[in-house]
Amino acid sequence: MSGEKESLVPSFVVFQIGNRRVAVPRDCVAELIASPVLFSFPHTTPLITGVALRRGRIVPILDLGPGLLGAPSPEARFYLVVERRNPSISERCAIPVQGECELVSGIMLPASAQNDFVVGCIDLNGEQIDVLDLEKAIATSARIEDDSIQTVEALP
Amino acid sequence: MTQPVRSNFSPPDARPREQVAVFSIADYRFVISAASIQEIRSTDSLGGTVVDLDRVVLRKVRHIVERDARSYYVVSGCDHFHLPLSRPSTVLILRSAPAAILVDRIEEMAEMRVLLELPKSFIGEERTWYRGLTVLDRKVLPVANPLGFLTATDLRQLEEQNPGLLQAAAGSRNERGQA
Repeated sequence: MSGEKESLVPSFVVFQIGNRRVAVPRDCVAELIASPVLFSFPHTTPLITGVALRRGRIVPILDLGPGLLGAPSPEARFYLVVERRNPSISERCAIPVQGECELVSGIMLPASAQNDFVVGCIDLNGEQIDVLDLEKAIATSARIEDDSIQTVEALP
Repeated sequence: MTQPVRSNFSPPDARPREQVAVFSIADYRFVISAASIQEIRSTDSLGGTVVDLDRVVLRKVRHIVERDARSYYVVSGCDHFHLPLSRPSTVLILRSAPAAILVDRIEEMAEMRVLLELPKSFIGEERTWYRGLTVLDRKVLPVANPLGFLTATDLRQLEEQNPGLLQAAAGSRNERGQA
């Protein structure tokens, strides 16, 4: 009975990007990996900083820093592997994170942040943690990085 | 106790294999199918057969090179992949496209045993540039698409701005040969 009750409370994975702590629903997180070997090659897709080879699969590395921090995120030791699920992309990608990740349960409250990619917040020992819509966070970060690249290219 | 006989026979590796050339441009390595390459030449040995384009419409294509009665657009590998200027010493003349690719050097010939799909998160020009990714010596390398160096749109633009030049270059070569 208590198990059934617990399963009704949603779980979230809390992680840190730069100095900002955010969370995503647990069901979109596959695993946390430490210091994978990263490979890079030329491409023009914003946010992707390389790929990792994970159990025979290619996992792209997506930096959410531009959207969350306004700048690329600092060097990471850990990578949170998440499931992207949108009409055109359904695959795993890895997000560089700083510090440790936490698995917490709680009720999501209405969002207090202005960002359109924040869908709510959870209370963690008095700290309000923004819960992200992963696809919107990726889209916003990509747009910001794209804009900054165009600005740099436009400079004389 | 009798030890079980162990056969040294192991089933043949059924994975598809493809001979590839590994080439480098700037700090990056790429793979391309050996079957898609007509010829690999040193840039030094092409001097007398290079013709400048009348109009440069693509930054990466400035010349035509003639080889064996055919002409090819010379594509700068570093411009194609948006890489910093490098020192190309080798040209890959392709079989299936009228393109000769300037690369820094050939690193090795190898056997590719796996071709992995480029993740769908990649949404830029790389989807045209690469057939996919492969793993050689535990390193992930992009597999260049020979038809991606000059797309149909690129070729149309080049032909529109330099009408007949590719054919004329090949024709003059033929005439010289007959003379």
